[in-house]
Amino acid sequence: MSYSQDRLDKLVEKNRVHRDVYTNPEVFKLEMERLWGRAWIYVGHESQVKQAGEFITTTIGTEPVVLSRDKSGQVHVLYNRCGHKGAKVAAQKCGKTSMFRCPYHGWSYHLDGKLNVVPHACGYDDTDFDMEDPQFSMQPVARMASHRGFVFASLAADGPNLKTFLGATIATIDNMCDRSPVGEVEVVGSSLPYMHDSNWKMFIENLNDAVHPMVAHASVGHSTRKVVDRLPEGAPTPREAEIISPFGGSYEFFDSLGCRTMPYGHSFMGGKGSIHSSYSEIPGYMESMVASYGQEKVDEILSQNRHNTTVYPSFTLKDAVQVARVCRPIAVDKTLVESWHFRLVGAPEEMLHRTITYSRLINSPASMVGPDDWDCYERMQDSLRSESAHWVDMRRFIGQEKSEGDVTVSPGTSDQASRNQYKAWNEYMTGEVS
Amino acid sequence: MLAASKKETPDLQEIEAFLYRETDLLDAGNLHAWRDLFTEDGTYWLPVSPDQDDPLGHISIIYEDKMMMAIRAENFGHRLAASMQYAVRSSHVLANTRLLESSADGSEIVVKSNFQTMIYYRIQSVYAGTCTHKLRREGSDWRIVQKRVDLINCDADHKSIVIYI
Repeated sequence: MSYSQDRLDKLVEKNRVHRDVYTNPEVFKLEMERLWGRAWIYVGHESQVKQAGEFITTTIGTEPVVLSRDKSGQVHVLYNRCGHKGAKVAAQKCGKTSMFRCPYHGWSYHLDGKLNVVPHACGYDDTDFDMEDPQFSMQPVARMASHRGFVFASLAADGPNLKTFLGATIATIDNMCDRSPVGEVEVVGSSLPYMHDSNWKMFIENLNDAVHPMVAHASVGHSTRKVVDRLPEGAPTPREAEIISPFGGSYEFFDSLGCRTMPYGHSFMGGKGSIHSSYSEIPGYMESMVASYGQEKVDEILSQNRHNTTVYPSFTLKDAVQVARVCRPIAVDKTLVESWHFRLVGAPEEMLHRTITYSRLINSPASMVGPDDWDCYERMQDSLRSESAHWVDMRRFIGQEKSEGDVTVSPGTSDQASRNQYKAWNEYMTGEVS
Repeated sequence: MLAASKKETPDLQEIEAFLYRETDLLDAGNLHAWRDLFTEDGTYWLPVSPDQDDPLGHISIIYEDKMMMAIRAENFGHRLAASMQYAVRSSHVLANTRLLESSADGSEIVVKSNFQTMIYYRIQSVYAGTCTHKLRREGSDWRIVQKRVDLINCDADHKSIVIYI
């Protein structure tokens, strides 16, 4: 039985959402079509396909896709599907090839997805089969665009362009790139995957939920302090403690960061200050930056310090630490979160080491931070199946938003980021997104 | 006597007994005593890629020094951690232990073994692969300079891993 529009219209209220948004498989199916099938979804970074023939495979919602670079240097996002009988063509996470070849009947495709060879093609003589007919190609998705190497795609032909969609979040991408002395970042190595037994929105909502850290991450904060307190007096604060400690920051600290929300469900916390503001300097970095940009510009670049920019629904970025977490919904209660790590091209390698240390300590399935979040999402996913729980609240600091043009500013511990996500969610799901 | 010039061959049985003691401490959830088996510069490494050669410039699932081991020992079973409100029980089986390298005097060695470990944490999971121990002789006992665990599914989509493997 499919979910009625009437029921769908009633799932989001101004200060709460119905549990079906997290638990109902029909709602999930509609999300894949109406939200993930229309919004700009993060695919990958151009540095992952530097050379002609390089490709990566991923998903847009639940659609398997390939990001490839052809011989002319152009990048493509193609459905990872053979035009013959629909088999997935590329199975590896990444690779390099001169063409894509379906392992079933041997149809092969150029790197831009056009059909190249059909074996024993005489069988198609005197039929209406046409090599040029797009239905027999690995079809390109409706739209793709990139900003500073970050490739996004939309499965819908209509909608805002990427720049309009990204809005104020574009400054997070720009800032991360500008933190390189040559203004460029590149992906380093493979991703760190983490499978969640919960709905994708629980992960996304948590990123700008600043009421949870002092509770959910209290234990690792306490444990870290206990160990650091045992260090000899005058010993420098270990990098690990610098990274973990702010997770136990006070409510007041997080309120002061503020939460900024914008159209299409996006948001970020902080701006000039964040949980990353107090990291110690890495030798040689400032020098390399000043040589490139001059002191004034460097001060401006490094003064931007955002905490978890969410490009709804798929992409989350930390400009100051050069880590992206990408959200891949698999089923209504299954979500893959992939962490990707970026090198600031031209910066000392120790900057990358800090990026890696951060992600290991916070994002890893074996960290002492991620598993506590994971567990809380799973508890919600589990309990929301029960008949006693129908609504999920999001009314903290409602009515205290201030407008700054397209951006809405709220205290850091407001639920405004969630309310803003559900405003966008509702627009996508009821067909009113512009 | 030739003893002075003869290369010391470490006793494999003694090494195995040490490795069993190490995994026994993990199986008992005694992370403080387990940590004490490491040298001051000791590290534990759980790579995310097969044949990964860099713990600093490439992401790993775990790469921890003795300070991080101390934090993890404090955090293990912490009453405020949502993820720690469940039993964590494991059972390591080690086999095929072989000596890969030995310094001339036998005081620093590298041993590799195969393992299969069951971890019961909410559900029962199987982890398998090899562990490579770099050991240093300190007094009459061995100490771990590095324990590297290569899972055969290191690059799989793991759920939470809340204890060293």
